[in-house]
Amino acid sequence: MADNENTLNFEELCAAYVLGSLSAEEETSFKNLLKQADTEQKQLFQDMQAIAAEMALLYPEIEPSASIKQQLIEMAWTSVNSRNGANIHYLSRFRYAVAASVVFMIVSLGLLFQTQNLNQDLSNQVALVNEKQSIIETLESEVERKEELLTILEARDVDLILMDGLDVNPTGYGKVVWDKDNGQALLQVANIPQVPTAKEYQLWFVVNNQPISAGVFAVNDPSRDNFFKISEFQQGGTGAFAITLEPEGGSPQPTGDMYLLGSM
Amino acid sequence: MLFFILSAIGKFLTQNNSRDRDLMRRIASKEPEALSLLYDHYNRLLFGLLKSILKKSEEAEDILQEVFTTIWEKADQFDTERGTAYTWIVSLTRNKAIDRLRSKVYKEQKKQSTSLDDDDVFHPLYSEENNPLENTILSDRAKRVYQALEKLSEKQRAVIQVAYFDGLSQSEISNEYDIPLGTVKTRMRDGMLKLRELLSQEMA
Repeated sequence: MADNENTLNFEELCAAYVLGSLSAEEETSFKNLLKQADTEQKQLFQDMQAIAAEMALLYPEIEPSASIKQQLIEMAWTSVNSRNGANIHYLSRFRYAVAASVVFMIVSLGLLFQTQNLNQDLSNQVALVNEKQSIIETLESEVERKEELLTILEARDVDLILMDGLDVNPTGYGKVVWDKDNGQALLQVANIPQVPTAKEYQLWFVVNNQPISAGVFAVNDPSRDNFFKISEFQQGGTGAFAITLEPEGGSPQPTGDMYLLGSM
Repeated sequence: MLFFILSAIGKFLTQNNSRDRDLMRRIASKEPEALSLLYDHYNRLLFGLLKSILKKSEEAEDILQEVFTTIWEKADQFDTERGTAYTWIVSLTRNKAIDRLRSKVYKEQKKQSTSLDDDDVFHPLYSEENNPLENTILSDRAKRVYQALEKLSEKQRAVIQVAYFDGLSQSEISNEYDIPLGTVKTRMRDGMLKLRELLSQEMA
């Protein structure tokens, strides 16, 4: 009797379920019954469900708008891409980006290092060129000065005045080659000390006991002979040459110690 | 002739079931092309079903899209042991339509009764866009269902009709047509068992 009632109850719920006619509560109840259903009941459910599906054929077919399919296929492809490709591509792009960044960083550091080396090399080369240029300029200046001095020596009519060291510097030596015609002279000094700070040597031409300044000069390398050109020295007469140590820039009259003296 | 038709229907059902099962397997493997093919096979039928239940095209299209989205997402849950893909898809479609029908918005609307004699409802499934043989067989299937329904008592048919075509619950049918709830349940049960008996040979 109870089995019969259960069967009737199952059949009622099953028929209503496949027709979509159960309340939410009854639906839950039927689903629980279905879980415990025997083979015969399950077959009944499948048959009724199939019949309900067949009843759908009684509806008129209607064409939906084309956009539905388009949206569905787009959704499906998006889903596929996001499940597989997109993530992998994203990951790959990420890995590529990291790899590219590392490579870029290494290349950048390499280039930076190379640039720094090149800059250093360039600086060294520039310093070397400047140094060589300075030497060249010094040598050119020296050659030019020597040529000027040689010009004086080449003059046919010159006076030679030798100067000797005095008490403050007995080993001192000096020589004046004077080209009176052109108003210029060559001064050679040796063995006189390096000038102290704020001091310079001054050459005097003494005529009739009156000292006339012939110019100032400094000796920075006492170990070698030093040559100086005296320009615009338009003087006449016969006298003597003397060298004194004076304040830097020279004095109107001799004030310091006399280092060299020589007469014509 | 009858033998030929039944044979053709049986062959067609088997082929369709095999085709649908293969499509469902491919959809479960996330092949958009398979979803596209399945949509081509069933979109008009399901949209007709939805339009008849929901009345509004926009709502019907909305649910149609939801149905195929669910198929895409849950194809792997389809169990071939529990019936055909066609049954699964139609059940899914009807359940979604009824859920929408019983939502707050639809509850406000007056239920429209549907007559079994209504031409709009029982319009045969002829469509020029379909395969002629398929249309013929589909229409034959529809005729078989129609003829089986015709063999029910008028009271049984009426209860099944309003439940299926209008989406009314048993309680709603009872209230709407002033029939005791128990009687509604009995008529529905007896009607469906009778249909099973009438259609069981072809459904097997």
